[in-house]
Amino acid sequence: MSRAILPIADRRTTTRHAWALLRSHRGPLTVSVLLFAVVGFAGIVPPFVLGSIVDVVNSGDGTAREVLTRSAIIVGAAIVGAVATTGSAVLLAQAANPALARLREEVLDRALHQDTERLEAAGTGDLMSRVGDDVRQISESLDNAIPEFVRAGVAIAFTAIGLFALDWRLALAGLLAAPFYVFALRWYLPRSAPFYRRERIAQGERAEALVAGVHGAATLRALGREAGARGRIHHHSRATLSQAVQVFALLTRLFGRINFAEWVGLTAVLTTGFLLVRADAITIGAATAAALYFHRLFNPIGAVLMIFDQIQSSGASLARLVGVLELPSPTPEQPHEGSPVVRLDGVSHRYGDGPEVVRDVDLEIAPGEHVALVGSTGAGKSTLAAIVAGHVEPCSGERDVRGRLTLVSQDVHVFAATVRDNITLAAAGLDDDGVWAAMRTARCAEWVGGLPNGLDTRVGHLGHPLTTAQGQQLALARLAAHDPQIVVLDEATAEAGSSGARLLDDAAHAVIAGRSALIVAHRLSQAREADRILVMEHGRIVEAGTHDALVAAGGHYAELWEAWSAPTLAD
Amino acid sequence: MPEPSAAPRTGAGMLRQTIRRQGRRLLLAYPLIIAWQLGEALTPVVIGLVVDHGIAGDDLGPFLLWLGVLAALMAGFSLAYRFGGRLGFRSVQEESHTLREEIGGHVLDPRGADTDQLPGEVLSLATADANMTGIVVRQFGFALGSLTAVVVIGVWLLWTDWVIGVLVMLGMPLTVALTQLLAPAVARRTTSQQATIARAAGVASDLMAGLRPLKGVHGEDVAAGRYARASLDAQRASITMARSWGVLSGVSSGLSTLFLGIVAAVAGIRALDDAITLGQFIAVVGVAQYLAEPIVALGELTAQAAASLASGARISRFLHTPPLVPEGPVELNTPADRLTVEELDLTVKGGDLVTIVSDDPAFDAALIDTLHGTRPGGGRVLLGEHELSALSIASRRTSMLVVDHGADLFEGTVLDAMDPDRALSSEQLDVVLDASAAHDVIAAHEDGLDHHLRASGGTLSGGQRQRLVLARSLAADRPVLVLHDPTSAVDAVTEQRIAAGLRSVRAGRATLVLSSSPALLDASDHVVVVRAGRVADRGTHRDLLARDDTYREAVIR
Repeated sequence: MSRAILPIADRRTTTRHAWALLRSHRGPLTVSVLLFAVVGFAGIVPPFVLGSIVDVVNSGDGTAREVLTRSAIIVGAAIVGAVATTGSAVLLAQAANPALARLREEVLDRALHQDTERLEAAGTGDLMSRVGDDVRQISESLDNAIPEFVRAGVAIAFTAIGLFALDWRLALAGLLAAPFYVFALRWYLPRSAPFYRRERIAQGERAEALVAGVHGAATLRALGREAGARGRIHHHSRATLSQAVQVFALLTRLFGRINFAEWVGLTAVLTTGFLLVRADAITIGAATAAALYFHRLFNPIGAVLMIFDQIQSSGASLARLVGVLELPSPTPEQPHEGSPVVRLDGVSHRYGDGPEVVRDVDLEIAPGEHVALVGSTGAGKSTLAAIVAGHVEPCSGERDVRGRLTLVSQDVHVFAATVRDNITLAAAGLDDDGVWAAMRTARCAEWVGGLPNGLDTRVGHLGHPLTTAQGQQLALARLAAHDPQIVVLDEATAEAGSSGARLLDDAAHAVIAGRSALIVAHRLSQAREADRILVMEHGRIVEAGTHDALVAAGGHYAELWEAWSAPTLAD
Repeated sequence: MPEPSAAPRTGAGMLRQTIRRQGRRLLLAYPLIIAWQLGEALTPVVIGLVVDHGIAGDDLGPFLLWLGVLAALMAGFSLAYRFGGRLGFRSVQEESHTLREEIGGHVLDPRGADTDQLPGEVLSLATADANMTGIVVRQFGFALGSLTAVVVIGVWLLWTDWVIGVLVMLGMPLTVALTQLLAPAVARRTTSQQATIARAAGVASDLMAGLRPLKGVHGEDVAAGRYARASLDAQRASITMARSWGVLSGVSSGLSTLFLGIVAAVAGIRALDDAITLGQFIAVVGVAQYLAEPIVALGELTAQAAASLASGARISRFLHTPPLVPEGPVELNTPADRLTVEELDLTVKGGDLVTIVSDDPAFDAALIDTLHGTRPGGGRVLLGEHELSALSIASRRTSMLVVDHGADLFEGTVLDAMDPDRALSSEQLDVVLDASAAHDVIAAHEDGLDHHLRASGGTLSGGQRQRLVLARSLAADRPVLVLHDPTSAVDAVTEQRIAAGLRSVRAGRATLVLSSSPALLDASDHVVVVRAGRVADRGTHRDLLARDDTYREAVIR
């Protein structure tokens, strides 16, 4: 796929973030780790106590009381173990969950502040799978890996000490397994890394296919093209499955190699035991105990090795989250005192390596001035509007725009939230009076008042249905709530369709009153009311002036006006 | 299309379906997994044999022989896991993939799906919940393995010493049963955690869908704050869930160790009483130690299974949401070429270009929904002689295309959008691109028809998107075409070209437009004027201009 997904951090950066993340929750994490160690200790108490019960029974003159006191120790270990298990799990969750929640929140926050173009190129699915699939992956690894690692560590330490205490030669024999464990890991890690990386990217594509399918379901249905979208879901889901299955096959081969290392160590211990017993250096009992001790190391060593797999797998996910965090942080809007400034100087722009869509444009809007931008569709008006609004960084030229600015485009979206939340998106602290005032300006107070729960009515997807015109009125109310000095309206009233046009034009007119405005308009009645009209063709401004002057000049605008105002087609 | 969804109605049904669907793999996987577990359990036994027959015998021959047996055993269980584990893993993956396809298939059913989920929630359903449901394969395998071990050990214990045997056979189920008291609470919290995670995903997807309006008012921070609130809910639910899991695993591991202590006490006293030998005592406590694992596993399994159950139930409920468009039984042999809207007393025949002008956006929206079939009760609509609701989806589709005002563009090349089946000649494509004035959208890019569009059109302006959508609608070339404001984002000159183009491309076919554009109205054969939801006037554009002042007022700009 040629999709320009959001960046993925390199290993060093990822590691740095991982440490920072762990450090920031060091308190509960340390206590949790200590408690897991207690769980580990509680876990090795019973085998030792059982050994001493064997001694009691074996001694020939043991009493039931001796057996019972020893059993009571096991019961004590059970209680300590139970409390520590619960406590450690809870503490780990209390450290890990907030850390992961902050991580996904920061990722979304940072992503939302990136260029629209950048985000759209990456696709919604890319981001959704990062805050969803990837966070889940890390969470699962943390839940399993930390407890396993600590418990296994304690078990390994004690068992190894026991083994050395038994006989140092037998313990050294067991160490023969170590290089094979290392070989196994060194074989596995470089092979599995790319699979995990690809699997996570494939998850992003899968999320994109799913979200696009759900989103576009109505259009796809009308066109009868659901099969294609289903096919994409199938394709990307299969692709993810294939990566997961391949990396698991590698993992089972790693297990095989671990089993081999276990066999090497066990055989070495048994053979050394055989030779030492033969030389009368140790007893058969010691040889047996050594072999059984070594066998008891199998599971904890396996668990420790698995940590490396977990680190690798969750590292692949963390790198995708960190990649977003490493994107440049947004420069906050500069507060601007006094009159707003809008000035473009020799601005040109092209998307990617596409054709130039804006060519050498100069533009200045005086405070409070309303400038209309008209021209054929595809002339570059939307791009110019986006440049003025600061949503597109021009390839060349100077942009000097100062003052609070709002852009309302033709992309109508009613957020799945209450009406109030739809408005306060633009002004977090606004009270209900402010919200109603904004609604009145945007001419929507009346119908909002008639909604079942007024401002608390849920609208948007799955909410109370609104017409496109109503949705765009909410957008204008949002603009009014934002209370900008500069307004850019990019066909803000076009999507409402013909039947709602008049009302919306009135609403738009009301919300821009007293503000500097750039209005991209096909509805020339809107242009006519502007102080000045710029006509754009092929990326350049070709005419400028008042409505009357331009009509009189008989140029391109006059032609547009003629077509616009004609009640009928030319015969 | 199977009528109601074939998916099971309950979470349990979903889990049974998983085992059934993956049955063939599991039939092979489970014996291999059990063989692996038995092999692991037998390893200390074989170590004992190496000691007894090799080391104790002080004879190289038997020692090497038993070392060989140990090697064979380890190689055997290693291979058993390699293939059993792969099959098991594959089953989980295949099942979640199938569920994902079913979820996607349900949303993209030709009849649509009347679900109550945001796209992000559907995504969560198709990933997190699908995995959770598939994972029951593993839980079932563990349960099977644990039960096998427990039964084998229980029988052996009964045979060794009936007192200990009875103690274990009664104590084990009791221990497991005690942990079950906690399982419902754990399951409930797991369910609510899954729901909060999905809700956070829903918020994120909705914000991303509204990215442009959001950025227009610099709402990024407020939006991120809203996601953070949803994420915080999910975090709290996760901690609550983890707490109950912590209690459950604390209790189950505590109970299993407690059980071990009791068995050790009883067995120790039995050994002191000489009811069992020392060797039997060692074997009994060894076995009791081993039993701790299945006890914990079985104790936690129900809670895990309950989480899978909850996921399965969520998926099942989703798959059973009703269709948006009820389908009728009538199949047309030849596509209908005539559309009748009774409430407007309007019939659009082949060759007709009719435009409806209304003064109320809600009327337009309702009419479009009625034509889509998503508004039952919205007045009678006939395609040919048949009522729309009586027709099969396929028949509606071959006859009519209804294009929403906000129709989406999808990722892919321009050619994919126009002609996904590559059914049109380049001349035919030329004609529709010309008629919709979309040529220059394509000419603006070097790669022309192969130009790659982003989801929802990306860097294209509204006018460019609108023209591509129109071209796509014309390329579909259905006998009846309904367009809702197809030119609202294009300039007047282009609009005039499109009006003329529409007329010529749709010659001989039925076309209904909802618009108040004079260019489109003038190109129409017939205009229906709707005021306050009722037909107020009808005629040709020019007649209406001449005689109806309100009309003139409404359309002249």
